[in-house]
Amino acid sequence: MINTILYSIVVGLIIISIICIFRAYAGPTVLDRVVAMNVITTNVVMIILIFAYIDRSLYYIDVAFVFVLGAFIGTLCILKLLREGHII
Amino acid sequence: MSVLILEYIAIVFLFGGFFFLLVGVVGLLRLPDVYTRMHAMGKCDTLGAGLILVALMLLIWDVTNITKLVLILSMIATINPIITHLIAKTAYNRGTPMAEGSYLINDYVASQRRRRRARVEEIKKGDENDK
Repeated sequence: MINTILYSIVVGLIIISIICIFRAYAGPTVLDRVVAMNVITTNVVMIILIFAYIDRSLYYIDVAFVFVLGAFIGTLCILKLLREGHII
Repeated sequence: MSVLILEYIAIVFLFGGFFFLLVGVVGLLRLPDVYTRMHAMGKCDTLGAGLILVALMLLIWDVTNITKLVLILSMIATINPIITHLIAKTAYNRGTPMAEGSYLINDYVASQRRRRRARVEEIKKGDENDK
């Protein structure tokens, strides 16, 4: 029972991510795209964690942790580039 | 028996988290402006991710992995507001237009610009007086 519900929630998260991809494609400014990519990052982290529980391969939790940190640094670099015109 | 109770509580948390993620995305799709879209995203996303993480903690129920999940939860709960704040600051500094009908009560950057302009004019006047 719990596996079925987890799979259905994964499918729902994938549908949500596809809607966010539409916003990232159609957003009028750059910052709309940044916001949409942030939402997609959170959804991907949730999908990784749910699959880590479904497969009982709990080492994927570390993968999700590294993914969160990498996405944070990436978004930070994009925002610094937009504000100052250079990263370093 | 206790495992079944934990699973039921976890199912409630899972659907709550999915509901909040869905509400955030609906706001991202429907709202008219960068700032309002960010307002929908920043809160609903953090809360939805937190609820799903609590549900996974109840399902996994193991000390080491619960510690890792608490770490991920604290990282998301600090990173998401930081990113939202920076996006808002960047949009404001770039002069991204707001939706029609909205206004600012206390415009900090405009007041700073006004003060700087007044100071420049004072310096120019001082130069003319010296001449």
